[in-house]
Amino acid sequence: MLRTFKSELLKITTTRAIKVLVGFAVLLPIVVYVLTLVFAFDSGVMDSSASVNIASSAPLVALLLGVVGVMCATQEYSQGTIRITLVATPNRQRVYIAKLLTTVAVAALSTAVLVGVSLLATSIVLNIRSVQFSLIGEDARVVLSFFVLTTLVSVFGLSLGLMFKSGPGAISAVLLWPTIAEGMVFGLLSAASGNNFFRWAPIQNGFQLVSEFRMEDNNSWTVSLLFFCGFIAIFVALGHVLFSRRDA
Amino acid sequence: MIVVDGLTKTYGAKKAVDNLSFTVSPGRVTGFLGPNGSGKSTTMRCMLGLDVADAGSVTFDGKRYSELDQPLTHVGSLLDAGDAHKGRTARNHLRWIAMTHGFPDSRVDEVLHHVGMTDVANTKVGKFSLGMRQRLGLAVALLGNPQVVILDEPANGLDPEGIRWTRDVMRNLANSGRSVLVSSHQLVELSMVADDLVVIGQGKLISAGPISQFMTQHAKSWVRVVSPQIEELSGLVTARGGTVHRNGEGSDFHGISAIHIGEIAAANNIVLHELSPQTGSLEEAFLEATDSAVEFRGESSGSQNGGEK
Repeated sequence: MLRTFKSELLKITTTRAIKVLVGFAVLLPIVVYVLTLVFAFDSGVMDSSASVNIASSAPLVALLLGVVGVMCATQEYSQGTIRITLVATPNRQRVYIAKLLTTVAVAALSTAVLVGVSLLATSIVLNIRSVQFSLIGEDARVVLSFFVLTTLVSVFGLSLGLMFKSGPGAISAVLLWPTIAEGMVFGLLSAASGNNFFRWAPIQNGFQLVSEFRMEDNNSWTVSLLFFCGFIAIFVALGHVLFSRRDA
Repeated sequence: MIVVDGLTKTYGAKKAVDNLSFTVSPGRVTGFLGPNGSGKSTTMRCMLGLDVADAGSVTFDGKRYSELDQPLTHVGSLLDAGDAHKGRTARNHLRWIAMTHGFPDSRVDEVLHHVGMTDVANTKVGKFSLGMRQRLGLAVALLGNPQVVILDEPANGLDPEGIRWTRDVMRNLANSGRSVLVSSHQLVELSMVADDLVVIGQGKLISAGPISQFMTQHAKSWVRVVSPQIEELSGLVTARGGTVHRNGEGSDFHGISAIHIGEIAAANNIVLHELSPQTGSLEEAFLEATDSAVEFRGESSGSQNGGEK
């Protein structure tokens, strides 16, 4: 298992498109955050806790890492390496788990770098401004939510990639589902019924995890977490079944 | 040894492989022939567990591919030279494969040297010609130093030196006791290296066995004769059931052996300048054997012109 995992890691680290995308997902939020911290600290946009400010980029980072997840799967099909992968490791479950672990590792490491660098920058800038900086209990929840969101959306991307096999299709799905499809479907349902159906929009529940605002009729953090995890688990299972049974 | 037993694979309503059975013996190169769409590649994919067979089995020394521990050390395969990420270097392409079996990087460098790619080890696959990709594909197949080697069109895109090199690699693998199964449309090349042939058409077995047996069954044979008394000899042979066709300076005698022609000539004091048994090529034998199983047939330019007249 470890060998398959290391092999999958090597595949990712030797693919430029994935490296560029991961770099973009990490660096862009850091740059925006640091610039905001330096130039707009007194404007009121940074009134929330440090972690909440850092996590404001979480949906964008999650979607970019979701695309990374997609590419981990679909590049194998578009480049034909899936045949060699399965010839080298005929146990498809092992390959699938290795891909899951690799995707989770990349997403978690990217998030860790993003959060770590952002917190370090916060500490430095606030020190220069002689402002007291400390992490509070709420910060731990937000940071944990950030990790949960990015890792699970990247796993969602991987599963979609293995289901679709085609990059454009799976990338469209991972980007359009949360940004357009959920809004349309659950918006229409809410408008038609008069109830807040948005609370059951799966990816929006994931995004809600890192939000400091929670409407009264929204799900609690725990319910959102469980609902979001359950939704991703369905796709992980579907991806596994299709990957195991289909011809390569 | 590879044993294919009753292999069947269906795509929708089409049977790509239909109850196919054959064996590939150690120490021999087995050519795998068939017209386009006859099921050769599907068979190879089923052998390696890439496509799931509907029925039948394929075993390598008694074990299914999925049951093999460290499969690359048992079976090496080249299915498509394009199966490599274009943005990865040749060395990194082999490294990720080697990593699945715990092979050291030194083994990667060894096979790169073996296929003559040391100088381009750090060049991206996207910059390779088809011939270079074939060599890289062969490096993948040889990475685990396997006992069985399965190659699908390994000489595609190779220059004459590369073709000869591929032939030598296959011969050396067989000489060292390995089982080699190779599909190819380059029949002249195949006839130079194959010991056995498996011929399929429309997914079904047409012939399996030594190449000499296949040639005996399907290739035309005749006797070429050059004689100043050819008219007299032709008459005698025709009287004994043979047929004669004039061919340049000599004549081709069909339906009678060279021994009989020699005896007839001697008995009748006929002078012979040439008496040589002839056999058709593997290509002719293949075309004859698979004539009824060709799925996609083009129209020749001659018949097109004829149709327009």
